[in-house]
Amino acid sequence: MAADMRLPRVRKTLSVSESASHRRDLVVPGDIITSDTGFMRGHGTYVDDDKLTASVAGEVQRVDKLICVRPLKTRFNGEVGDVVVGRITEVQQKRWKVETNSRLDSVLLLSSVNLPGGELRRRSAEDELTMREYLQEGDLISAEVQSVFSDGALSLHTRSLKYGKLGQGVLVQLSPSLVKRQKTHFHNLPCGASVILGNNGFVWLYPTPGQQEEEAGGFYTSLEPVSLADREVISRLRNCLLALAAHKVLLFDTSLLYCYESSLQHQVKDILKPEVMEEIVMLTQQKLLEQEG
Amino acid sequence: MLKSKTFVKKTRSGGVMKIVREHYLRDDIWCGSEVCTGCKQESTVLQKDACIESNLCSYPHYLIPDTNVVLHQIDVLEDPVIRNVIILQTVLQEVRHRSAPIYKRVKDMIHEKEKHFYTFTNEHHRETFIEREPGETANDRNDRAIRVSAKWYSQHLKPFEADTEGLKVVLLTNDLRNKQTAEESGFRMSSATVFIISGEEYIKSLIANPELVDRLALSNDEKVTNEITSSKLLYPEHLPLSRIQAGIKSGSFLQGTFRASRDNYLEATVFVQGEGEDGTEVLLQGLQNLNRAVHQDVVAVQLLPRNQWVAPSSVVLQDEGAAKDDNVDEEEEENTLKESATESVRKPTGKVVGIIKRNWRPFCGMLNVSQIKESTRHLFTPADRRIPRIRIETRQAATLAGQRIMVAIDGWPKDSRYPNGHFVRSLGSAGEKETEEEVLLLEHDVPHQAFSQAVLSFLPKMPWAITPEEMAKRMDLRHLTVCSVDPPGCTDIDDALHCRELENGNLEVGVHIADVSHFIRPGNALDKEAANRGTTVYLCGKRIDMVPELLSSNLCSLRSNVERLAFSCIWEMNHKAEILSTKFTKSIINSKASLTYAEAQMRIDDTSMNDEITTSLRGLNKLAKILKRQRIEKGALTLSSLEVRFHMDSETHDPIELQTKELMETNSMVEEFMLLANISVAQKIYDEFSECALLRKHPAPPPSNYDILLKAAKSKNVEIHTDSAKALADSLDGARVKDFPYFNTLLRILATRCMMQAVYFCSGMDSDFHHYGLASPIYTHFTSPIRRYADIIVHRLLAVAIGADSTYADLMDKHKQSALCNNLNYRHKMAQYAQRSSVAFHTQLFFKSRGILNEEGFVLFVRKNAIIVLIPKFGLEGTVFFDSKDKTAPNIVFDEEGPTLTVEQHTFHIFDKVKVTISLDASNIQHQKIRMALTEPVIPGVSVPVPDVEPQAKKPKLDR
Amino acid sequence: MAGLELLSDQGYRLDGRKATELRKVQARMGVFAQADGSAYLEQGNTRALAVVYGPHEMRGSRSRTLHDRAAINCQYSMATFSTAERKRRPHGDRKSTEMSLHLKQTFEAAIMTQLYPRSQIDIYVKILQSDGGNYSVCVNAATLAVIDAGIPMRDYVCACSVGFVDETPLADLCYAEESVSSLSVALLPRGGQIALLQMDARLHQDHLEALMEAAMTACKGVSKVLDEVVRQHLQEAAVLNVCP
Repeated sequence: MAADMRLPRVRKTLSVSESASHRRDLVVPGDIITSDTGFMRGHGTYVDDDKLTASVAGEVQRVDKLICVRPLKTRFNGEVGDVVVGRITEVQQKRWKVETNSRLDSVLLLSSVNLPGGELRRRSAEDELTMREYLQEGDLISAEVQSVFSDGALSLHTRSLKYGKLGQGVLVQLSPSLVKRQKTHFHNLPCGASVILGNNGFVWLYPTPGQQEEEAGGFYTSLEPVSLADREVISRLRNCLLALAAHKVLLFDTSLLYCYESSLQHQVKDILKPEVMEEIVMLTQQKLLEQEG
Repeated sequence: MLKSKTFVKKTRSGGVMKIVREHYLRDDIWCGSEVCTGCKQESTVLQKDACIESNLCSYPHYLIPDTNVVLHQIDVLEDPVIRNVIILQTVLQEVRHRSAPIYKRVKDMIHEKEKHFYTFTNEHHRETFIEREPGETANDRNDRAIRVSAKWYSQHLKPFEADTEGLKVVLLTNDLRNKQTAEESGFRMSSATVFIISGEEYIKSLIANPELVDRLALSNDEKVTNEITSSKLLYPEHLPLSRIQAGIKSGSFLQGTFRASRDNYLEATVFVQGEGEDGTEVLLQGLQNLNRAVHQDVVAVQLLPRNQWVAPSSVVLQDEGAAKDDNVDEEEEENTLKESATESVRKPTGKVVGIIKRNWRPFCGMLNVSQIKESTRHLFTPADRRIPRIRIETRQAATLAGQRIMVAIDGWPKDSRYPNGHFVRSLGSAGEKETEEEVLLLEHDVPHQAFSQAVLSFLPKMPWAITPEEMAKRMDLRHLTVCSVDPPGCTDIDDALHCRELENGNLEVGVHIADVSHFIRPGNALDKEAANRGTTVYLCGKRIDMVPELLSSNLCSLRSNVERLAFSCIWEMNHKAEILSTKFTKSIINSKASLTYAEAQMRIDDTSMNDEITTSLRGLNKLAKILKRQRIEKGALTLSSLEVRFHMDSETHDPIELQTKELMETNSMVEEFMLLANISVAQKIYDEFSECALLRKHPAPPPSNYDILLKAAKSKNVEIHTDSAKALADSLDGARVKDFPYFNTLLRILATRCMMQAVYFCSGMDSDFHHYGLASPIYTHFTSPIRRYADIIVHRLLAVAIGADSTYADLMDKHKQSALCNNLNYRHKMAQYAQRSSVAFHTQLFFKSRGILNEEGFVLFVRKNAIIVLIPKFGLEGTVFFDSKDKTAPNIVFDEEGPTLTVEQHTFHIFDKVKVTISLDASNIQHQKIRMALTEPVIPGVSVPVPDVEPQAKKPKLDR
Repeated sequence: MAGLELLSDQGYRLDGRKATELRKVQARMGVFAQADGSAYLEQGNTRALAVVYGPHEMRGSRSRTLHDRAAINCQYSMATFSTAERKRRPHGDRKSTEMSLHLKQTFEAAIMTQLYPRSQIDIYVKILQSDGGNYSVCVNAATLAVIDAGIPMRDYVCACSVGFVDETPLADLCYAEESVSSLSVALLPRGGQIALLQMDARLHQDHLEALMEAAMTACKGVSKVLDEVVRQHLQEAAVLNVCP
């Protein structure tokens, strides 16, 4: 089998918009943002000697009196209503621990899931013992943030048929800041696959299901073989996601779709080659601009 | 600009390691020339007007010597005429690898402002750095680097040629190949001209200074052409270093320091440092086996098979041959060595196979002018008998004859009987006191130049007074009756004492030592100079001070009736001399009297005197006696050596009378308290600084050292025990022979010679602190800071220990401290030797004025062909030879066991009383010596008749 | 004469630098996509790779959880090929453990750990090539990695070693120079606070001040370079982020 090997080299950055002129709103840790005491201290800043100082490298955002510094890359800071994709790491009494690329593992309470047998079913002691039958360590789920604890940990729920255990598909882990907030993060793409763009940067690619089976309560996994065509589409989408992420393009259904379309002239495995990647992303960005403009 | 330097290095274990080092090439290294306007340098070294008058170069020029020129012609370069020299870093580094002393001399020259020597860091310069090409040797690369730099200089200075009457750069190289390559590579053709001249040609071309040619070292090629000695190879080839190293590693060769014998030029020993403390000595005999090693060289020796081992000969042999280039007589002389030796006394014998490191320095000595008048080649005889004679070339032989001169060795080819060298400088005519003193100071490496301005600038300003702040910090002891007791004529009084009765009936005894460390602050030029000098050297009638006179004889000297700063050690003792408490403090004292030993003794003895000083002295004396008894009970040794004093004529400074030093009760009184102070201080500083206390130890001698003593004592039926210091002291005390009152002293003199040297050391670097002679577990020197640097360090340590002063870095660094100790030990040893030489020289002067004397003496040692006689009256030792060249040798039988020597019928034993005539043998002006000849017992053909003693040379009456 | 002349009379060091000059520092941030933060840093011939994961849920033993701040976990290691002599360093050799501890202390002083109670921040540093000043290079590399991970810090932490030769402090020692008594300082340059000060050799207190002075200056020099690297990285990344 032929393998493609190349030496590492500095990646050329693609700049479609303005040139790298000095931007004032970029700060590094230790930079003093303002010595005016009238401002409020937000994330990414601290007060040192009455001076508001940045503690992370990123751009300064000012909302009225609140000054924050948003780092370019960070862990997921969940908010209520965010759609996340996560992985079960632990099964505890009455709750699951879910890794969601957050600072602390998120919690999925037994009471926040839909169990088979209807929404109004009482949770009995027996349910606690059989928790592992529903979800066990390593399982992937999609969920929504129900609330945020004081220490920053997230509480999730899956009380909608959209959410629940994920079956066959591919998980791509990206930076959360690349995922664009939208009305829906579940997309059935016209190319024949579906995607869940988790706000936490976890993206789930799976074959578009035929019809929803209500009774399963979200815990049913179809183990039917996926057709080669579907798998190829999913693979292509995965590589497209990686390409977009490498060039720091915001992810949402349109950008993904455009990228997919742009990549069609290349083989799936070639997409990750730097020069191909560059070309595809360029095309995508152009298409996005066109659409915008 | 960044360059990575990669090279492969072999590790000790034999593996191969690749080492990568960074190398930054700079563009901010300036040329250092006054004329250059392109370089942004702050100060320049090289002058615009760089003129050395030379036939070859009539224009102003800068010299660039290559490594070999620097190494070989360092004496010429040091001449003040040679100025404006560019020393390349490449050259400096190579010199550093090749010879440490020359490296130091080059560095000294660079620091000297008037010389205008500039170091150009070419290896870090962007335009002059070159990389080693494949296949190029390190040497070739360095040569090329030198050429490239020379070229760069020449191009760099080109634009300024017009302003400077054609300033040029001259590359000095002796290497023909280098010269050729330089010429081939188009040096002359290129726009910038570099002249390449060999070192010799250049120096010969100097118009003003023809005498410089004499200092020119012989270069290799010259030696080939000027073959003087027979083509027969005299010496075996030296092995290359790689083979020596391999040999040492495999154990077939031994590495050690070569020590020529003082008495026998055909014999030497190599001291091989073994595991830990012990080392072995390898004996070398015969020119072939010595193989061109010179005293103090580090050599590799190979042991001969056991059946060729010999015993050290007791023959005293001197290389007498006037200008003997042929080696006919030598074989004969060598044969005398190889006489029978019993199996037991044979020692490991070996031969030198290679020289690891030469330790040549310029040697003092005299020229033996060649018999051939026109000859420019002469032999030079060094003053140190352990150094072979050196062949030099000079045209000033006529002027140099009869002068003391300095000569450096350049090399010793294997076909030459003597090493080749060159003239360095003249010291003055031989026999003159100043010259001789200079010689002995130089020979013993005693720094004796006047103190530099930098040093003097650190002296306190006169008039000096104790400041009130100082007053407040110190304990005021001015009210105490302190007095000092010293030898007559002493101006550097560093100790004073007091003793008084306390109210509780106990005694308070104080030892007050001049507070030199108050004046000499660590790290300044004064301190560095003192540290280097290490000790004051006392010669007869002359003192080489360690610190400038203002301190030694005035501010630090605890003279009477002036206020002085002191460091006091105060004990409270009971009447049994038991120490109840000890206190150390900085203080102010006012000595009430400076006494001599005799004066103090008189006061003690004179019952009519009852003033404070006298009572104080009596108290001290009483305690001292108890202390001494206690010390002796513990096993301290009382050893003896004869010390002589010369009474000097006040005008001519010639010795007019000789006197052996006398010991009085007061001597030992002062000594006791000094010892006590030293021991107390040693304990204190060791408790405080266990890692970096400067202490003094005296190792116990190995048992074999006592052999001679035991044999000697046995010959008089006296038993000496040497198992411990105590046993030795006791048996020495008990050793008395009827009708021979001097026997005990003689025995003690012998015992002294068995001892090891006491040395300074740093407590962190050693575990054995014992002082054998004083029988003290710990000891240091605290009481003479004016004349010993060790004491200054001890003062500083003690001051820190009591919180009177702050510490500084080097004081706490045990490695630096240890290095300092080494220097101090070396200086002390050298000072002692210098002192002895000075005494010997003055003894000669004394006998010169006295003519011939008849004296009584004792046999101290018996050698194979001579006896060594001690004349107690003068403390003089001399050798009586029994086989001189001009006479037929008498029948001599030497018995090793006794040892005894039978000449004709008479047998000499150790301690035999003999009578000798003493006269000065001035036949060899360099080594004037005291000649002794036997007058009694009368042995026909050996002894000489009692000469008529000239009337004016009456036995000097010594007033006791 | 044995040994190398570390500082020539003309004031040049073995590699041609002057006493206060640093080695060439080159760095890159974000070299790994999978890690939260990563950086690669060269200081002369010493090269180090730093990777940061976290803050994340405590892994391994829960007992180390700190309820008021994040726990920092540092691991230092050297590649087998990092030194001239190839040497296998099994996990947990003493020097590495000590170095890990030092790094931990350094970053606990700089990272605002109180913002992340009960979580953990992992900092892994590997020396790829060692030519002196390993600690300093690790600190500098790790600083960049922490910044890349978006973890809040009070300031940069810059470290530099200084040695003392012939009464002169030498900044940023290379391996050949490390034989002298040397001092490593980690500094928060803006406030001048010292995060860590470490010295194994003996040094007289009189010299300490001069040495500290030199160390601080050197650290500030390093911080300038790091600052440039971070800003450069920021520019590049930020530019791409602006579109839609």
